[in-house]
Amino acid sequence: MRYTRTWSRREFCRAAAGLGVGAFLPLTACSGGQTSSSSSGPAHLKVLTHWSDPAQMDAMKAVFAEYQKQNKGTTVDYETVSFDQLLPKITAYRAAGTMPDVVHMYTLWLPDFVAGGALDKPPSDVVSDVKGGFSPASVTAATYQGQVWGYPTELDIYQLIYNKKLLSDAGVSGPPSTWDALRAAAKSATRRDASGKTISSGFTTMAGWDSGVVHPFVALLWSDGGQYISKNGTKAQFDDARGLAVLNLYMSMIQDKSIDLSLNMTDFVNGKSAMIIMANWWHTTMQKQFKDGFANVGVAPIPHGPNRQPITLQYNWMWTVAKDTKDRNAAWKLASWLNQAGSHKASPTGTFLAEQLGAIPSRVSDQQALTSKYFDDDFMKVFLTATKHAQPEPPVRGGQEVKTTLQQDIEAAWYGKKSPSDALADAAQRADETLAQNR
Amino acid sequence: MLWGYLFACPAILGIMVFSLGPILFAFWVSVHQWNLISPIPDMVFVGLRNYVDVATSDVFRAAFRNTVEFTVVGVGINTVLGLLLALLLNQRLRVRAFWRTLFFLPLVTPPLALGIMWTSLLDRNYGAINAVLSRLHLAPQPFLASPDQALASIIAIAVYQYVGMYVIIYLAGLQGIPQDYYDAAAVDGAGSWQSLRYITLPLLRPVFLFIVVTNTIGALQVFDVVFAATTGGAQTSGGGPANSTMVVVLDMYNTAFKFFEMGPATAMAVILFAITLLVTLAQLRLLRPRM
Repeated sequence: MRYTRTWSRREFCRAAAGLGVGAFLPLTACSGGQTSSSSSGPAHLKVLTHWSDPAQMDAMKAVFAEYQKQNKGTTVDYETVSFDQLLPKITAYRAAGTMPDVVHMYTLWLPDFVAGGALDKPPSDVVSDVKGGFSPASVTAATYQGQVWGYPTELDIYQLIYNKKLLSDAGVSGPPSTWDALRAAAKSATRRDASGKTISSGFTTMAGWDSGVVHPFVALLWSDGGQYISKNGTKAQFDDARGLAVLNLYMSMIQDKSIDLSLNMTDFVNGKSAMIIMANWWHTTMQKQFKDGFANVGVAPIPHGPNRQPITLQYNWMWTVAKDTKDRNAAWKLASWLNQAGSHKASPTGTFLAEQLGAIPSRVSDQQALTSKYFDDDFMKVFLTATKHAQPEPPVRGGQEVKTTLQQDIEAAWYGKKSPSDALADAAQRADETLAQNR
Repeated sequence: MLWGYLFACPAILGIMVFSLGPILFAFWVSVHQWNLISPIPDMVFVGLRNYVDVATSDVFRAAFRNTVEFTVVGVGINTVLGLLLALLLNQRLRVRAFWRTLFFLPLVTPPLALGIMWTSLLDRNYGAINAVLSRLHLAPQPFLASPDQALASIIAIAVYQYVGMYVIIYLAGLQGIPQDYYDAAAVDGAGSWQSLRYITLPLLRPVFLFIVVTNTIGALQVFDVVFAATTGGAQTSGGGPANSTMVVVLDMYNTAFKFFEMGPATAMAVILFAITLLVTLAQLRLLRPRM
């Protein structure tokens, strides 16, 4: 008998839809479904970082080779991606249920990953080690809801970086220490040709980059005693009079053309900008690009406003362990090894950070051990001193969205699309909504 | 009939799993709060709140405005410029194959490479285009660095990239028109303009419809050229300056993968899907050849 069955269009569509969702859901449903377990046998660990520069990658591979040599039976599969790809990569792995065992992440993302149940709570010895051996601001950065979530690593602090020659050519005797002096120095150091093209800009911003816009803004805000987000993480506070004063400082430099918004950090390295507020991770890049001209680069504390405060902003990175790791003990053992000095003077992470990035390690003993070799020059000394007065970005859920929101509205003011007060008020309103949704 | 479905099964299954499934899943996510990191069962049903949030968001409104402007201007230029270039290349030119290849070349260049190339060319201080303007004693232009010129610059890059494809499609249409029609018209005393007006354009109507519909769908979903030309370096979030080049898909990308807000991101996807569907249906109805 020949079987014939005709399907109506509606029946076919219904069956197709059911099949589609039915087949698709299992692909996504695995996210977060696994539980941690530990084994005593050979361990295979996957590590993800954002140190994608070839030299950095080779250096880190050597670190893991050393670990494998010391821990027979453990293999480390090391993956690195560029910074802009790190967050999409981690979230994609998490959604697929294949999150790497050890992940090096930006502490701003920590609250979202903790809330999503993606991270493993460290063993008590790790927590004690972190609380006792790391700089207090870094411990705060690696803590969310009263719990330390891993080892703080790279510590980056914002300071004023200036081109000594451009300032001196403009008749400015030294780096500005106040907002008024900053404004005056920037104006003096700005030069344009007859067509209006910038020859050198007094002060350079980093439009388009959320951290590049917001971090210097917050550093200036804190240096005047202002607040970014309330201590309990529920309300934006950058829209008060002190926040407005910071934005008006930028606006005055844009209006007198001391800031050319089409320039960015590359122009500082090209000798076309006299001053920029930037973090210490840039040290190595500048050394490579400036070459002999690096002697012309100076660093000074953030110029302060009328309500002088010695505070600046720092941000951190940290080693975390995924909750889904198949071998919790092995993952934390690796994370701990990366952060212990062992027979060396400094930990593998600390040495890597100082050597490859010019970044300051969060572990105090690393800072002390590496100072004479890496942080004793005029450039790094200022950053190292600033660690005593630095505050971390507040660890709140939705922190990335708040930062991008503020960046967009600050830029709207810079480009004349909004008044400074409207820009900050709009950003604060959207930030409050984000913080409320994520509470 | 059953055998027919059976043979079609692999293809149908692929479409179900990789197209229909994700589309229906996106509809479902759009009425939930979900951060992509939490397990799916932890999603919280929020009804239409994500749609309200998206509709009232300043960034989405800017992105929507820019997307519409990009689509209308870009499709308009591609459609007209593509036709003009195709008519030109349809003549008996010397090295005709060379010119056709030249126009097609940008299409086979990766968008990221194009974006980087144009970012350099359009740079205010170091760009080649400003160097030429300077030689002509014209003031340097900020292009991508100005909120007033950035979107126009992006449209120009997109036209440069895609117009070659439309030229090739128009050329195929032009070469499908029998020469007899032109010969008969010439016998009747029709000039070039009359041949174009009464023979070429009416017979190109199906090609014109295809170009407008596919170009509109592509333009509403623009992402790569904006991302490549405005992110500039690894750190920038794109769509600047001051959201002047923010488009819907870039806003969607940032919302999903930077802010972990899958609900609003998928709500944007659903809104864009609905708009694309409506615009396409309207175009098909208005532009389809009349029998």
